[in-house]
Amino acid sequence: MTDSATPSATGDRPVPLVEFHDVTVAYGRRPVLWNVDLVIDAPCLFGIIGPNGAGKSTLLKAALGLVPLVGGTVRFAGVPLARARHTIGYVPQRESVDWDFPVSAFDVVLMGTYGRLGWFRRPGPAERASARDSLARVGLADVADRQIGRLSGGQQQRVFLARALAQEAAIYLLDEPMAGVDARSQEQIFDVLASLRASGRLVVVVHHDLRTAAEWFDRVALIDMRLVAAGPTATVLTPDNLRRTYSGQVELLREVGLAVAERGRTS
Amino acid sequence: MSGGLPSSAALVAAASGLSASPTGSTVIGMAVPGVPYNTLVVACGVAAVGCAAGVVGSLALLRKRPLVGDAAAHATLAGVAGAFLLTGRRDLASLLTGALVAALVGLGALVLVRRVTRTRDDAATAIVIGGGFGLGIALVSGITARGIPGGGGLEHFLLGHAAALTADDARLLMAVSATAITLVVLALKEFTLVAFDASFAAATGWPIVLLDQALVTLVAVMVVVGLPAAGAVLVTALIVIPPVAARQWTERVGTLVALAGGVGATAAVAGVVVTSARPGLPTGPVIVLAAACFCLVSVVASPRRGWLVRTLRAAAERRAWAAGLLLDACVRAAERGDGTFTVTDVTDGRTARAAWRMLEHEGLVERLHEPTAEARVPRDAWRLSVRGLDRARQRQRRAAEWVAAFDRAPAAAKERFSLDLPACAITTDAGDTRAT
Repeated sequence: MTDSATPSATGDRPVPLVEFHDVTVAYGRRPVLWNVDLVIDAPCLFGIIGPNGAGKSTLLKAALGLVPLVGGTVRFAGVPLARARHTIGYVPQRESVDWDFPVSAFDVVLMGTYGRLGWFRRPGPAERASARDSLARVGLADVADRQIGRLSGGQQQRVFLARALAQEAAIYLLDEPMAGVDARSQEQIFDVLASLRASGRLVVVVHHDLRTAAEWFDRVALIDMRLVAAGPTATVLTPDNLRRTYSGQVELLREVGLAVAERGRTS
Repeated sequence: MSGGLPSSAALVAAASGLSASPTGSTVIGMAVPGVPYNTLVVACGVAAVGCAAGVVGSLALLRKRPLVGDAAAHATLAGVAGAFLLTGRRDLASLLTGALVAALVGLGALVLVRRVTRTRDDAATAIVIGGGFGLGIALVSGITARGIPGGGGLEHFLLGHAAALTADDARLLMAVSATAITLVVLALKEFTLVAFDASFAAATGWPIVLLDQALVTLVAVMVVVGLPAAGAVLVTALIVIPPVAARQWTERVGTLVALAGGVGATAAVAGVVVTSARPGLPTGPVIVLAAACFCLVSVVASPRRGWLVRTLRAAAERRAWAAGLLLDACVRAAERGDGTFTVTDVTDGRTARAAWRMLEHEGLVERLHEPTAEARVPRDAWRLSVRGLDRARQRQRRAAEWVAAFDRAPAAAKERFSLDLPACAITTDAGDTRAT
């Protein structure tokens, strides 16, 4: 079914923006993801939720070809990763790099344009303008020239977001963008993500905090090695699904139940 | 990012200037009065190598693989000896070709040892260094002991002997160095991207394995052309030390690369100049000592990252904390009584005494009365001045704001929470650099 779903052959049914088909990842003998089947049809704010070690980040990395699949396929708008890279923006976890590296915030954001520049070509005025705009969108225009180690954690995370913006992608994959970030940066990041959705982009966010998940995301997938449930937030974050995902963390479940109920009343 | 360009252009020009004078009578087309012609030629060749080693080494340092060249370097001696035994030739190009083959074999062995034995990186490096170097020493001493004709002088590759270089040799070193620098400048964007964030680079489609292999090969090439000057034992220092020194002075990759090239070239020239005045002294140690001196000065005294500045700043921050806490203590002591307090009420120990002097100097505390002969007030009665009260209130407000923000922050953010100095110190300039 997925193989025939090329843009030209769709007819009336739209091609899913992202399609995980039976994705399985294993480190040695230990499975991290097992037969994950997940289809994201349309642009939205999509949360990937689950406990620590559930394989959330691995799902993004598998989608980007950063960890090898032992089984399954991932397609973006009907085409495999190799032909879709230029349409995907990526925000890795902040801890994945050395912030003592001798580059400025602007330099890092400029790296978002390297993908479309290709080999040996240096960024020109167009790329620099794109990087400046991206920094301004995350509210960091005034620290553009600062060495990245001299930024706060929230600012560093926003630099990563700005770099993804400079990729000018259609699909954004973010790995824990709210982890270890102060409240003001969280709001700013969320505003940028919401504006991306408003301009027709798909934004997929790996997220660990159930409380905020209920209010931020249009649709969510609950993951605990296998896909537990996926769909509109209100229908997925049910006590039953949460119990299956977070076995044993009762206190947490009660609080989330309240948050979801509250959201149901207001909307 | 274009910081490396001028030096490379200059080197390319130098290299082409060389090939334009086939007779070799005026190798560099110039003469410096008082400097022997041969020293000049050798200095140019060795400077080019030092420069390129610093440039390539900068990338290895940024990629966190500064020692990858060491395994290659220690394997080269076996390659030099092997090339001599196999071909019977002892011109520099042949010997260095052998060295390059051995260096690449050494790097391959490194990968293999890591994979087969599952040892840690440093243990695997030690195994390859030991094995390769042992073989090299055995071969070279074997050749020397048997008195194989033409085999004398191979031991110079151990510690370096720049004086033995001919004009042709220097030309070879310059050409290779210029090529290496050109490649780095050309692909600086790609190398920087992979060094900073390999997973982002991979996610955006860059072949990181290929780029890493290219970098390691460049390191191996620089190790090999560094042999005649620095020798197998010390050539790694040419790759590692100049970039570490340069890193202390800059926060930009382009500047780092250019500076490291400059440091490497300068150290190399110093080595040649000193050893030409003292024949018999190997070049390698002198070059490395020159680079190490500059590195030491940089690490201690550079204005932003230097040990001296960091130590002084830490001391200033401690003093500011102490003064701020003392100001709080003064407020509390004043509130307990009639608004006055004595020095001993609020200070305890040497740190507090120093902090008290800061409060006094800033005019935040004042004597209740200037002591006079007839006044019968206690000699040691102090109160907060108007400025001091104002400063204390600012301090309390900002501290309360900070604590509130800290309490609201998610647990994971707390360890990265940093209090602005003005909030805890007695100075109040609103340099809000870290708070967001």
